[in-house]
Amino acid sequence: MMENIQATLHKGPAVEASRPIKMTSKDVIVHYGAKQALNGITLDIPERQVTALIGPSGCGKSTYLRCLNRMNDTIDSAKVAGKILLDGEDVYDPDIDVVELRARVGMVFQKPNPFPKSIYENVSYGPKIHGLAHSKQEMDEIVHTSLRKAGLWREVHDRLDEPGTGLSGGQQQRLCIARAIAVSPEVILMDEPCSALDPIATATVEELIDELRENYTIVIVTHSMQQAARVSQLTAMFHLGDLAEVGPTEKMFSNPDDKRTQDYITGRFG
Amino acid sequence: MSTFTIIPIVFVIGLVGAVMAYRRSRALVGKDGVKMHSRPTYHASFVACWGIIPALLTLAVWLIVSPIVISTNVSGNFPEGVLAQSQLTEGLAYGIVESIGTGLRVLPDDERATITDTTPVADVTALLRNRGIPTASAATDWMVPLALQLNSLQFWSRWAMTLVVFVVAVAGTFWSYRQIAPRLRARNNVERIVNGALIAASSIAIMTTVGIVFSMLFETIDFFSRISPAEFFFGTVWEPRFSNVGSSGNAGSFGFIPLLAGTLYIGAVAMLIAVPIGLFAAIYMAEYADNRTRSIVKPLLEVLAGIPTIVYGFFALITVGPFLRDLSAQISGLVSGNYVSFIEAQSVLTAGLVMAIMLIPFVSSLSDDIITSVPTSLRDGSLGLGATRSETIKRVILPAALPGIVSAVLLTASRAIGETMIVVLAAGVAANLTLNPFEPMTTITVKIVAQLTGDLEFNTPQTLVAFALGMTLFVITLCLNVYALYIVRKYKEQYE
Amino acid sequence: MSDATANGIADTAAGRKPRRDIGIKKRYAAERRFKAYGIIAIAIGLGFLVMLMWSIFSKGYTAFWQTEIQVPITFSEQVIGTAEQANDSQTKLLMANYPQLARDGLIQLLGISADDKKAVSAANGLISSGTRVTLRDIVMNDLSVIGTTENVWLYASSELDSALKGQYDLNVPENRRPISDLQLEYIDKLEQQGAIEQRFNWGLFTSGASSRAETAGVGVAIIGSLYMMLIVLVLALPIGVAASIYLEEFAPKNKFTDLIEVNINNLAAVPSIVFGLLGLAVFINWFGLPRSAALVGGLVLTLMTLPTIIIATRAALRAVPPSIRAAALGLGASKNQTVFHHVLPLAMPGILTGTIIGLAQALGETAPLLLIGMVAFVADYPSTPLDPSTALPVQIYMWANEAERAFVERTSGAIIILLGFLAIMNVSAILLRRRFERRW
Repeated sequence: MMENIQATLHKGPAVEASRPIKMTSKDVIVHYGAKQALNGITLDIPERQVTALIGPSGCGKSTYLRCLNRMNDTIDSAKVAGKILLDGEDVYDPDIDVVELRARVGMVFQKPNPFPKSIYENVSYGPKIHGLAHSKQEMDEIVHTSLRKAGLWREVHDRLDEPGTGLSGGQQQRLCIARAIAVSPEVILMDEPCSALDPIATATVEELIDELRENYTIVIVTHSMQQAARVSQLTAMFHLGDLAEVGPTEKMFSNPDDKRTQDYITGRFG
Repeated sequence: MSTFTIIPIVFVIGLVGAVMAYRRSRALVGKDGVKMHSRPTYHASFVACWGIIPALLTLAVWLIVSPIVISTNVSGNFPEGVLAQSQLTEGLAYGIVESIGTGLRVLPDDERATITDTTPVADVTALLRNRGIPTASAATDWMVPLALQLNSLQFWSRWAMTLVVFVVAVAGTFWSYRQIAPRLRARNNVERIVNGALIAASSIAIMTTVGIVFSMLFETIDFFSRISPAEFFFGTVWEPRFSNVGSSGNAGSFGFIPLLAGTLYIGAVAMLIAVPIGLFAAIYMAEYADNRTRSIVKPLLEVLAGIPTIVYGFFALITVGPFLRDLSAQISGLVSGNYVSFIEAQSVLTAGLVMAIMLIPFVSSLSDDIITSVPTSLRDGSLGLGATRSETIKRVILPAALPGIVSAVLLTASRAIGETMIVVLAAGVAANLTLNPFEPMTTITVKIVAQLTGDLEFNTPQTLVAFALGMTLFVITLCLNVYALYIVRKYKEQYE
Repeated sequence: MSDATANGIADTAAGRKPRRDIGIKKRYAAERRFKAYGIIAIAIGLGFLVMLMWSIFSKGYTAFWQTEIQVPITFSEQVIGTAEQANDSQTKLLMANYPQLARDGLIQLLGISADDKKAVSAANGLISSGTRVTLRDIVMNDLSVIGTTENVWLYASSELDSALKGQYDLNVPENRRPISDLQLEYIDKLEQQGAIEQRFNWGLFTSGASSRAETAGVGVAIIGSLYMMLIVLVLALPIGVAASIYLEEFAPKNKFTDLIEVNINNLAAVPSIVFGLLGLAVFINWFGLPRSAALVGGLVLTLMTLPTIIIATRAALRAVPPSIRAAALGLGASKNQTVFHHVLPLAMPGILTGTIIGLAQALGETAPLLLIGMVAFVADYPSTPLDPSTALPVQIYMWANEAERAFVERTSGAIIILLGFLAIMNVSAILLRRRFERRW
């Protein structure tokens, strides 16, 4: 298992230590009603890198991810404390607008959730509500580029008017990614984006993530350590609401400091 | 013996059988080495079922079939002259024979004995009038023997029925009691009967629909044999005359158009008010309100749905109608200086407005269900792109929920069309054909009530038209309901 | 607008790179407007509820009080005959001129001359003509009162009652109001003597139909409704539960069960008046059951309530987890035993809640009852479900058509009673659900 993971690591480039920090969080604590889900997470997310959040289920990694663009606001019982900064601004500051925030920090969900509309409308939805295109040509341009960036263009360019729900699972998820890209976010959050996909579709999406790294800061939650090893430069290990360890992916998988990380990546629990 | 005495006696027979079966079964267990297949209670139930069910079925069949047999028999003896005439005359004549027969049964024995087949009808009606029983003036001599025949047929039928039912009950009990043995699979038998009963219970729903269709179908066909369908469906004048009942003269005009127009107009006014309000209330409750607000507001709105429609009707009659009338007088006073009310107390607007109040909770709770069943993943998908709540609702949730909302609107429309008590009290009875919402119009339901309340002979176009109206109403609402249910079913499947 | 946004951000976070303009301000205005529509819609809905309730209660609460006048009645032998005569034949007793007793008592109380025709008729107008029945019942119950004088509380006439409740404007000229100045003078006199009082109106709950508002009550209608509710309960509950058990636990998925499903859902939405036509054609014309009978009303309401009960029962059965069924079947129980011993008892609270709600619906239903002849003037209590009777909502309908001012008050009062019953039923359904709610 270890060998396997280390073998995959050669694919990913080494972390550039001097990357500027895009988002940072200090002592983030989350309660769901009476239950505490996160016990103070402090983590820096470097710009234009893929940061993977790993850990056993229920460890709080999805909760943390949903804090980054305040998707937790949609859950009534969730209470968030601590500081999360995007380019130095606190995203939980009352002056910060949640709509604007989400336009900058996009999100892709676990289950592909295309709207029951055409492929074109799915992608153009974000730019339309944010008023990013001023003409039909501009909108076409955005849609085409986004679909191209999401590696979906070749497969769907001749049927943009067909419903997005008619695509296969992997295509649907790439459509959701295209939909997120179309808003031109600075950060893309991905919540186990491949967990509902088959291995081939997963490989396509992973390649896509690797390409997107050039332009976007990506935070990905994943169950699969191989995936973390394949796509990420930085890995953060969560355990029971705590951040167990964080470090360059290569180091995490070859020489972890924390006993829990070691146990987890060698498959002793999880 | 009357039906209401027969039923308890049948039950007693069955229960006695059950007790005996229980004892016998217990006695069998007592013998050593015997292993019973079923427990004693099942043996008891087995015998009770066999005692009671066949007897009651016999009773039911008899009650349904015997009146038909008797009436065919009696009307077969009508004079040739009557039989040659239309069904209407025959039906009327049978009604008179029946009423004489009922009257005769009330007479004391000594007076009844004086009446024979040859007694002139005048003597009979005189006797009856002495006892305070009115009879139709159209009664003629040949009806007396037929009334006597009717009575004697009914008398013997009743006796035969009592006898047959009891024989069936006792025979069933006795036969099943003899069956009791260790090997008898009583539990399985009883369970099969129970299952049969369950199926029968669930087919009552079908029987009700069949009953509705057939009860109205026959009367409607009868009606259309007197008034042509074209006259009914395309006529623009509604003016049934009650004075000519029974005679072959002009029965009046039965134009359906003014009623349909009134029904649709009032329904449209109500929907125009209720749908936006109900829909926005549902959206607010499903998407914005926190749990506390929801837990207070939702039940309060549902109170509106629980208020009987007669209360709304009274509210319209006493409060809303006069208020609108006075308001319009004030408005016209301010505008023209002449205080004349231009809204009548009973008007399309009054009925529509009050009906809208009744429909609001209906729209809102149906739409609420539909909106909350849109998956959260779609909501998250849109919010995650930075859409505001209202953008998410307008561009994602409502389009996704559209089929469901359409079906909610259709169900609401079906409700509005079938609503009775509000329009009876608030819309008026004049069958106007107008576009002015401030004037009274009438509806299908109002006319059904108007044609069927009061003391009327049953077989006249004036009462039969109510069934034609009811049939039309049923068909309209059936189409709306079935289509709406079909849409909502497809919609729910999509998200399951 | 967008400039302002940009400036605002530049002020607070000077030195940062400028934001994209995504029209935030405008979009939030739209958001606020949209939210406001929702709040307005709910406010309108609740506003209607308040108006409706206020209209009914403000008009109706006075119906629970009835003005009565205490009059010294001399049960004179000249008018009603002696006790011995009464023992021989009740005819004289039944036909006696009781109103005269009341009039004489009132004349004495007010101290006016019996010869003053105008004064006497004014005084006579103060008490209800329903007095005849009140006084007759006193005498018939106890013959020993004959020849004695007793103080009796008599119903005031509906005009006096309405006037004292402030329902007439007494400042208009005398000929335009139903109470004359002379009568007002008498009322003052009676008030000084303490002989006139607003007392709790038990008659509203016990009396039957009457053409005089002051003696009309919903007692008979309540009994009629009670009979119908009993019939609905006895028929609809077992049939509804049986049908639901079959559909939920036994039925195979086929065309027939599909048909039943569509049927039930459709029946729940068929206009109630159509059920009235069904009742008229089938139960009355075909089976020959009597018109106006509570039995027919009960049968019609049963058919109407069945879909509601079936839908609720099926939901309750579905909420029982499959593990319970598996456990029972695993112990060797038959399918029937599993359902009747385990599933059904666990679903019972839900079933009862649904049944109560269905009954409440049936209780308020009016239209079908009109068609089966329950719009009848029924003054006596029905002793069996086959006797002519009326129902609470139908009584309200009939009173709503009465022109007299005092009947508006009565109608509202009857509506309050009806709403009271409905409130009790719905609250008990909610309590039942809370008390027995089970989380699996």
